[in-house]
Amino acid sequence: MLMRTDQVTANTQSAAGEKIRPAVQLDGVTKRFGDSVALHEAWLKIRPCEFMTLLGPSGCGKTTLLNLVAGFLEADDGEIFIDGDLVTETPAHRREIGIVFQNYALFPHMSVASNIAYGLKTRGVDKKEIARRVDDALALVKLTGFAGRKPRQLSGGQQQRVALARALVIKPKVLLLDEPFSALDKNLRGSMQVELKQIQRELGVTTIFVTHDQGEALSMSDRIAVMSAGRIRQIAAPDDVYRRPADRFVASFVGDANVLNGRLVERRGDVAVVSIGDISTSVPAAPIAAVAIGGAVDVFARPEHLSVTPHGASGSLSGTVTTQVFQGGHVDLLIDAPRIAHAPILVRVPGIAALSSCPVGAGAGLTICSEDIVAFPPGEAP
Amino acid sequence: MNTRPFLGWFVSPAGLVAVGLLAAMLAVFQYSARTYIPGTLAVGGFTWANFEAMLRPLYAMAFWNTVLICFETAVFTLFLAYPLAYALVRTSSPTLRSFILIVSVTPLFLGEVVRTYSWMIVLGNNGFLNTLMLKLGLLDRPVQMMFTAGGVIAALVHVTMPIMVIMLAAALSHIDRSYEKAAESLGAGPIRVFMTITLPLSMPGVVAGFSTAFAWTFSAFATPQLIGGGRVSTVSTLIYQLGFSSFNFPFAASLSIVGLALSLAVIALLTKAARPLERMAGTT
Amino acid sequence: MRRSPGAMLLRWSGRAVVAAILLFVLLPGVVVAISAFNDRAILQFPPQSWSLRWFWRAFSYADFAKGFWNGLTVTVWASSIALVIGSAFAFAIHRYQFVLRDLLEGILLSPLIIPHYTIGLGMLILASQANVGRGFPLVIFAHVVMVLPFVMRSTYISLENLDTRMELAASSLGATPLRILFTVTIPLLIPGLLSGWLFAAILSFNEFTATLFVSSQATQTLPVAMYNYVREFADPTLAALSVIYIVVTATLLTVANSFLGLGKILNVDAH
Repeated sequence: MLMRTDQVTANTQSAAGEKIRPAVQLDGVTKRFGDSVALHEAWLKIRPCEFMTLLGPSGCGKTTLLNLVAGFLEADDGEIFIDGDLVTETPAHRREIGIVFQNYALFPHMSVASNIAYGLKTRGVDKKEIARRVDDALALVKLTGFAGRKPRQLSGGQQQRVALARALVIKPKVLLLDEPFSALDKNLRGSMQVELKQIQRELGVTTIFVTHDQGEALSMSDRIAVMSAGRIRQIAAPDDVYRRPADRFVASFVGDANVLNGRLVERRGDVAVVSIGDISTSVPAAPIAAVAIGGAVDVFARPEHLSVTPHGASGSLSGTVTTQVFQGGHVDLLIDAPRIAHAPILVRVPGIAALSSCPVGAGAGLTICSEDIVAFPPGEAP
Repeated sequence: MNTRPFLGWFVSPAGLVAVGLLAAMLAVFQYSARTYIPGTLAVGGFTWANFEAMLRPLYAMAFWNTVLICFETAVFTLFLAYPLAYALVRTSSPTLRSFILIVSVTPLFLGEVVRTYSWMIVLGNNGFLNTLMLKLGLLDRPVQMMFTAGGVIAALVHVTMPIMVIMLAAALSHIDRSYEKAAESLGAGPIRVFMTITLPLSMPGVVAGFSTAFAWTFSAFATPQLIGGGRVSTVSTLIYQLGFSSFNFPFAASLSIVGLALSLAVIALLTKAARPLERMAGTT
Repeated sequence: MRRSPGAMLLRWSGRAVVAAILLFVLLPGVVVAISAFNDRAILQFPPQSWSLRWFWRAFSYADFAKGFWNGLTVTVWASSIALVIGSAFAFAIHRYQFVLRDLLEGILLSPLIIPHYTIGLGMLILASQANVGRGFPLVIFAHVVMVLPFVMRSTYISLENLDTRMELAASSLGATPLRILFTVTIPLLIPGLLSGWLFAAILSFNEFTATLFVSSQATQTLPVAMYNYVREFADPTLAALSVIYIVVTATLLTVANSFLGLGKILNVDAH
């Protein structure tokens, strides 16, 4: 069988340690709804104890992928393995998974304890053991004493924790979370993220986490699978996803990015040199392998990769400041440079000096102060 | 500024109707305590005789009979309507859904007489069931189904199904599917999910449907009258007999009142007994 | 998904159960339909010979025709009167607080639990006490009383879903309450009013029990005429009439379903 590009990507993006059997594996899994393809040949290997996040905008297929792993959807093509066992044809109630839904889905007609005990009852665990494990689970999520309450008596955060306890008490092979924190307010979200990560590390349970919030993904994950339009764009550690995005979608979805008009000057092995106006910088050669020397490329520079210099200084690009936004610890500047970029360029300047040194209407110079610049072939679509 | 601009206009007509209805009900109350003068519509002085007469076995049996029939009808209707309501709400085929909906709802709009009449043809000695069983050799002679309580119940179940299906379907459609998915993810097979999640959560609908079925059946007249043919005695047929054949309005009135009180009492009891069930569903 | 034999069994037995129940529900209708075409003058199944003559008789039988027009008269009057009175009252209870509000509402909703024969009996007694004959007004009044709750409920629900800010906007633009009522409120309520009226009309046309008590030979409606016919004759004329009834009703409902979606109206669509 010919190796497909996605497959190659998946294999090469898996770092060392692939000798260990993956906890979850998807081989070319496809899912269609009527005429549209929700998930297009997904290849994915998740390591034991790993915290893998599926990140992407709504409609990208991340929830579909989650539901396929859970067994709530049947794959049209491809195979799914959990812990080395082929589960593609196994119904949901026989896969050893635990899932936390966006709306928690706590059984309203049962107490907290009964909710948590449910999965143990279906497995025929005896009463004493159930009581013991429910107590342990409540302690794990810091809700000891809440056993007799009903879900409607709990706050959102507490319901969340019960849902988590219910999913974990059965010692699942995989823990699945579908945007669990989206209904919580910002402060609560932060502390829940920390707690979840602690619990996950403590228990060592393989976890698949779905979110559209890139900040959440970057802070919690061991690896992130960035998805859009039913395809996995990149699978890498947060650090790599941020600094070495595989394509322009990833580059623009994760973090802010300015798109500058550049030109390919030369190639040196892994690295290529591109020019933007009068300055040049080096970028990874792989993404622009198809571009001819002298051809146009889109250069992606994050706001923190650019710094402001006095207008007209040598080795700098020039533009005009159109907007200042004071952000507390730094100042965001929007700089218009029509020959270099179609849209105003966003630059982040630490401190408050820029408020006075770069007023609106003034000329400004831009230099590149990072090595993490990437370039992609020109065009709108990723 | 007038905060209730149309109050007088909007309430008065309704008030008049209410007065009329109240007057009619009071007439019933009043007549129930009056003496019956055979052969005329006039009534004599006040008496408790009508209510005393009801304690006689003939009439006591009629009441008991009615309660029994209503209960059995409600139970059978529940068991037949639930699968239909479930299929209606859970099927992925829009044609099946439309089909069940129309088939279930159409009888509601046909009127008692048409529906009861069609059962007469099914149950009659020359009717569908008997002919079928004779042809299949299951019977030597026709089995009497008309003029029996069983026949009445069968027809009543058929008549009550639409409203039960609608109420159960409404309750089922409001159950969040993610509860069932959660249960599935925790290892519960389809039967277990139904017994521990779907059924308990549909209890309020079941209780409401059962009470409604009971109340409607208690008020049923055409069906017991036509299929019972005078041999199955219910409160409704008795009232008609007394009111129209002998013009004994006083007694008919007293029967009405006791009947109404009885059905309200049973419904109150049902609602009370259902409270633990509703607690189970997490709605109280 | 390759399901276990247990799951397959469950699936197919579930389908069988639903099919069997649907058969039960359809049985009388099918039987009646076939019997209507019987050539012989008895209620027999299956027919030995076929004919359409009972359909002609159904249309031509005087009492049926009279019953039909009487019923139509009563229905149109009763549902229209009930529409005006009931929706106005629903408006009042939805928007206003007033003395006797709950009492009146309770009284007017009581026909939902009071058996129709009791209502019929009461009206009859009242009529004889007040020396009012069993003419159309009596029948119409009884029908108004019985269908009023449905009109009230339907209008009340529509009012709940009405965005009052539109009325406030009209008011801010200078409209008097009366003008707002006729130019904003009522037009917005029309779907609810219409469905309430329709429901009331269907129930009134088919109402049997109370009508049996309060109608006379001159005013009898179609259901009462049908009832009287069954007690006298045992031929398939009524079967033919039933078939006509069923076909018309099912057609109307199918049309209503494809345009309005019965599921939505009856609140049974999945949420």
